[in-house]
Amino acid sequence: MAHAANNKPSIERKASDVMFAAIVVFSLFALDVYLSVFYYRDNGVHDLSWLHWLLAVLDIGVVLAVLWASGKRVFHTLISMKLAVTLLFVVAIVAVIGTILPQGDDVLTSDITKSPLYHFYHSLGLFNVYQSRWFLALLFTLVLSLILCISNRLPATLKHTFRQMIDVKDIFVANQPQAAAFPGAGEAGMEAARQVIRDHHYRLYQRKTGSVLAERGRFAPLASLLFHVSFIFIAAGALLSSQLGYDESLAVPDNQMVAVPNTSLQVINYQFKMEYEGKALLKNGSIVPVKQLADGKTVRREDGGDISQITQVFDLQPSSFISDIQVFKNNRPLKRKSIREGDPLEIDGANFYQKSYDYDQTTGAPVSILEVNHKPFKTLVYVGGTLMMLSIMVALYLPRRRIWFKTGEDGQLLVGGRTNRAKLGFERDFERIVKELRLKLGQEAR
Amino acid sequence: MDKLESIFAIVTLLTYLVAGCVYIWFLITRNRRAANLATMLLILGLFTHTLSLGMRWADSGHPPLTDSYESLSLFSWGIVLFYLITERIYPIRAAGAIVVPTAFVIESIALVLNNGPEPLRPILNSGWLWIHVTIAMLSYGFFALAFGAGFFYVVQEYLLKKRYQNVVIAFALMFAAVGLAVGIWMGFEWANPSEAVNAAGQYYNQYASGDVYKILGAGGIGFAGLLFLGLVAGKGASRPSFANRLPSLDVLDEVSYRAIAFGFPMVTIAIVTGAIWADKAWGSWWSWDPKETWSLITWLFYGAYLHTRLTWGWRGRHSAIIAIIGLMVVLFTYIGVNYLLPGLHSYVR
Repeated sequence: MAHAANNKPSIERKASDVMFAAIVVFSLFALDVYLSVFYYRDNGVHDLSWLHWLLAVLDIGVVLAVLWASGKRVFHTLISMKLAVTLLFVVAIVAVIGTILPQGDDVLTSDITKSPLYHFYHSLGLFNVYQSRWFLALLFTLVLSLILCISNRLPATLKHTFRQMIDVKDIFVANQPQAAAFPGAGEAGMEAARQVIRDHHYRLYQRKTGSVLAERGRFAPLASLLFHVSFIFIAAGALLSSQLGYDESLAVPDNQMVAVPNTSLQVINYQFKMEYEGKALLKNGSIVPVKQLADGKTVRREDGGDISQITQVFDLQPSSFISDIQVFKNNRPLKRKSIREGDPLEIDGANFYQKSYDYDQTTGAPVSILEVNHKPFKTLVYVGGTLMMLSIMVALYLPRRRIWFKTGEDGQLLVGGRTNRAKLGFERDFERIVKELRLKLGQEAR
Repeated sequence: MDKLESIFAIVTLLTYLVAGCVYIWFLITRNRRAANLATMLLILGLFTHTLSLGMRWADSGHPPLTDSYESLSLFSWGIVLFYLITERIYPIRAAGAIVVPTAFVIESIALVLNNGPEPLRPILNSGWLWIHVTIAMLSYGFFALAFGAGFFYVVQEYLLKKRYQNVVIAFALMFAAVGLAVGIWMGFEWANPSEAVNAAGQYYNQYASGDVYKILGAGGIGFAGLLFLGLVAGKGASRPSFANRLPSLDVLDEVSYRAIAFGFPMVTIAIVTGAIWADKAWGSWWSWDPKETWSLITWLFYGAYLHTRLTWGWRGRHSAIIAIIGLMVVLFTYIGVNYLLPGLHSYVR
């Protein structure tokens, strides 16, 4: 955070304030250390308990408190967009680590376990980057900075969106980045302007007297703000779902009842089947892609052709897994369904997904692996995702463009406009409008 | 591969080659008729390209997005389409001299990698997936455009400052980097790894011990060959008159910016629809799989780009350099991840 250079002098403090700051820093730090000891003794580094999240938040707290105590304007830094942008770059770069180093269980089969520093790396969270304290702390800081930036900009954005500046002064129009004037155009000029602007897909706003505002993309700035809000929706929904719901990976052998941990649900898999895909040689010598269905016999050509032409099928690989499962609650049978990847069974807010398969250690038979989860705040994430897609399109595809027309005191028509992005595109638009206006006024004068 | 389809594909390739040459000729001679001819050829190429992709679709029964050939071919189709649109809006016909040869190279690579239509795993046959992949490809096209404009911004700036040596260096570096990347990529294909499944059930590529020489060798050949080409092109471009043939700095800056501003919502949509699809298929919307993570990195990177223009007021060279680096991140996400990092997305290859 030291990068956010502060040009303003540090805050002057009295001795008692310094004392207070020191106590705050010390107690936060002590709490962080105490909980860490407690946490690392009782849980694994992987564990995503609430303590893990709390520690990540506390870590930020300690850093912020130290900065604050040393006289930095912490709030000033957090609310500046510069911090947010720097964090975007930092998160992007840090995220790379997790794609290079083996993560989660992959690390157990890699050579890195032989390194003498393996346990040290492990305690740094390098093999669980995206769940590590420091990565979460980074994300929390980003969300915190985002929330502050949003609340900082919200009032002004709402005001500029809903309270349009329709009645403006002459000087305001003349001082716009793009401006033009038509001397002696009078009221006819205003009428011509109204006609020209309609062909350019602008919306016209006018009160009883005074200037006319032509506007396009009115909601772009608000949408840009909503885009950032959607980020917080998604973060909150994902966090709450992971803390208040559950997510289990279960190996379910055929015809055995398996209990879903921490719930009153059980599941039986009556039969696990696989579909295969591969290639077939035809009588005329050509090779076509085929699929073998779950019954292990039926072959179907992908191009829908005649199967009697097939002489040989080869290169078969599992392509789809199917489990015929039934869910029980307190040993009372509920729904039964044949699930496959992309087609889960849903019951009581719990979802049973076909994930993959494994081979039984003793019998060697394939065992279906199911993913069972319950995400209570799923809706929040979906709302956030939808809002994210819609708002970013409005914000970037429909930039706000405003042009004011006003008849000045000496009868001249003043035209002035501005945009919030893509200046050149707007300049061209503005020039075209002025040109058409000039043509129109010239013709009418003749 | 269907006969008619391959005829169309080859006609497309030849048309792009000729159109690219005419664009370069236009860049040198400034002949208006050459420019019109180039545009017409390019439209013809796009037409046959569309036909070949359409036939591929009809042949395999699913949209042409699932393997390297299909997605690359669609990528070059997108580049040509958006280049033609941009050409109508902005006076940047000179850029065709670099964009069209790029589309030609990508289409050639696509045809090299073509193994004929493959059956589609049922999990991949979902409306969400088609939106996800199409939009991702479109966004890559926009980022490629932003890269091109950014590169020429840097060149134009050096030309205007009369730093001709830097022009040669810029061309040589860019060409050599492309040569190295394409060479290594083709090297990976040449090495032809076997597919294996690791303990976590993820697919990954297993390479033999001699493969590293094939990969480095191909990379070296690509690097040397295109370095030479880059030096020649750079030398040719190091003339005062070349500055007049390139669009102005303002136009280049805005094209680069607007391309990114167009691509960014698409990347957003691609990531969100991908997450929705993964949630519906596997029950987890985000698993930090390398492809996912790298697309997030791309997204954060271009998000930061858009913010630097607002917060720090970055324009011109700074923005151009970020747009250039951005495409490297995109290409790693698109191609590098499939070869180098194991994960859920590897079956897409």
